[in-house]
Amino acid sequence: MESTTRTRSPIVELRGIKKNFGAVQALRGVDLMLNHNEVLGLVGDNAAGKSTLMKVLSGAYIPDDGKIFIEGREVRFSSPMDARREGIEMVYQDYALADNLNVAANVFLGREAVRLKLGPIGVMDHHYMEQETKHLLKRLKINIASVRLKVERLSGGQRQAVAIARATAFDAKVIIMDEPTAALSVAAIEKVLDLIRTLKAGGASIIIISHRLEDIYHVGDRMIVLRHGRKVHDSPIEGDIHEFRERAVAYMVGARDDFREETLA
Amino acid sequence: MTFIALTRKLLRENIREYGMFIALFVIMGVFTITTDGVFISSRNIVNLVNQTGYIAVLAVGMTLVIVIRHIDLSVGFLAGFLGAVAAVALVFWHWPVYLAILFVLGLGVLAGLLTSFLVAHFGIPSFVATLAGWLGYRGALQLVTRNTGTIIIPNDAFNAIGNGFIPDIPIDILPEMHKLTLLLGLLGIVLFVISEVSNRRKMQSYHFEVLPREMFILKLVFISALLGAIAWVLAGYQGLSWTAVVVLAVVLIYDFITTKTVLGRHIYAVGGNPEAAELSGISVKRITYVVFGSMGMLSALSGILFASRLQSATTTAGTLFELDAIAAAFVGGVSAAGGVGKVTGALIGALVMTSLTSGMNLMGIDISYQYIVRALVLAAAVIFDVTTRNTGK
Ligand SMILES: Nc1ncnc2c1ncn2[C@@H]1O[C@H](COP(=O)(O)OP(=O)(O)OP(=O)(O)O)[C@@H](O)[C@H]1O
Ligand SMILES: [Mg+2]
Repeated sequence: MESTTRTRSPIVELRGIKKNFGAVQALRGVDLMLNHNEVLGLVGDNAAGKSTLMKVLSGAYIPDDGKIFIEGREVRFSSPMDARREGIEMVYQDYALADNLNVAANVFLGREAVRLKLGPIGVMDHHYMEQETKHLLKRLKINIASVRLKVERLSGGQRQAVAIARATAFDAKVIIMDEPTAALSVAAIEKVLDLIRTLKAGGASIIIISHRLEDIYHVGDRMIVLRHGRKVHDSPIEGDIHEFRERAVAYMVGARDDFREETLA
Repeated sequence: MTFIALTRKLLRENIREYGMFIALFVIMGVFTITTDGVFISSRNIVNLVNQTGYIAVLAVGMTLVIVIRHIDLSVGFLAGFLGAVAAVALVFWHWPVYLAILFVLGLGVLAGLLTSFLVAHFGIPSFVATLAGWLGYRGALQLVTRNTGTIIIPNDAFNAIGNGFIPDIPIDILPEMHKLTLLLGLLGIVLFVISEVSNRRKMQSYHFEVLPREMFILKLVFISALLGAIAWVLAGYQGLSWTAVVVLAVVLIYDFITTKTVLGRHIYAVGGNPEAAELSGISVKRITYVVFGSMGMLSALSGILFASRLQSATTTAGTLFELDAIAAAFVGGVSAAGGVGKVTGALIGALVMTSLTSGMNLMGIDISYQYIVRALVLAAAVIFDVTTRNTGK
């Protein structure tokens, strides 16, 4: 099965995660394992619960039930800051950018570089943040005229690049990308996929949500399919792309389900 | 590009920033003409500055409140109430001035925290929470002054804040002028030029776009001349007032915090996109507490400035201050959509609003028309905001 000889151990483990929004059962007890240095593709139909599950992992939502383990240690996230401290970064589906601030400010939002501390008040190091942002954008090979441009002036693809730059700026251990290629041109998608490979080579573990199954196929090591708030499939990515696509779709639309008995039992 | 074309381009790109300066100049120019120069006289300008003081500090706080998408209607009567508390502490409790001031500033912070507790903890709309404050503090003001009526404050040190001037250097040159004020004006110009030049150098060394050379020099000359003119006019009377010192200190400190510090960045982030701020690990609640707490403290300061200016606490102190402060904030460029607005703009906005009052009073215009004119200016400021939002920089 495993084509590599690397020994793999889980960096993230979610067990029995449940989350309701009023009457909507968005997650009905989902288990998820992410191994060290692995790229995991998370797929499923609209409203399957993909974003909700990842927001539980990024600290944005507090689950109603279930446990989160980071490198075997149980953790509780009460805010996104807690998750960021554990080295978990997320590119949100709607990018979560402050339009009124410039590119550099958004990349460093919540993590501003400080050059001087006056009691509880930190004086920002604008120069450092701007130079770092330039380097990050260069790495993404995305063209933005100036890091001082307000984000509201950027195109959809540029905004997405800023969101990705932010998630990859701080040498995160775990990077979650919720539809990182949705607003991008074909050329820009290639760059993001390249970046994912680079990040993986640099030791990061990555979860990518995408409706573009070929993206998952090209960069992913393993795939999990969610349907109606449940995991219905979990397997390594192998075989040729047509076979892979057929398999994924069969699980997404409910024609197949590997875990049905468990929930009935 | 020709000089005129360049000027046009700059104006178009920065219209949101320059708009209020232009408005202030137009208003001052018009009143100078219609009052045969009385408006621009040293005496009137000094008065104008002192009248602006208690609105300007409120407008600075209000700007940040509006930046984080809230509003505070309670600041007027809170200022009035806290001014009366300061008077009671000085007159009936015989507290020293510094203690009375610190006490009242502390109460202001507590009042602001109470508001933000309702807003951030219970999620009550700030409009409603502070409307309750408006009522409550009005009642509190009446309670404090019920038995005494107006409380006269016979304390020279306290009253100097609203009426006094900084001392002068005792030398014999220029007997008609306030030398220290001129010196401070000069110092201000030098510091301004040095910081602008070094800033420009830095920007160039990082290859950021800067103003063309002639434009940059023109800007330096223009603003230096303006600072010099203000210092000259003030020095012709009794010099810089203590109120002006207080207001300048507040504006400089708040400008530093909002533009240079992490806290300031987080305030604007919360205003621009609260969800994104929260997801980035910024506590929207904490920012709400800080901003309303600061608003409460500045309300207390406003109350102190006003009571000191009148040398007494009256039963109606603070009436309609909140509306002047909100209007000043909007004239100063704050945006109702949140996330946009500078504290320096609030100062200009407050100057615009008090210039209107002062000029129309000098012209003897009926108070009813004065309200209507001020309404038009406020409406124009907000229309300006909405129509330039997508074309500005
Ligand atoms: N904040 C929320 N409040 C109420 N309901 C929510 C909220 N977030 C998600 N939901 C609901 O939870 C379910 C799962 O949503 P989620 O966003 O996780 O789906 P998704 O798999 O990411 O879908 P998509 O592919 O469209 O992004 C949906 O029914 C959605 O309406
Ligand atoms: Mg989603």
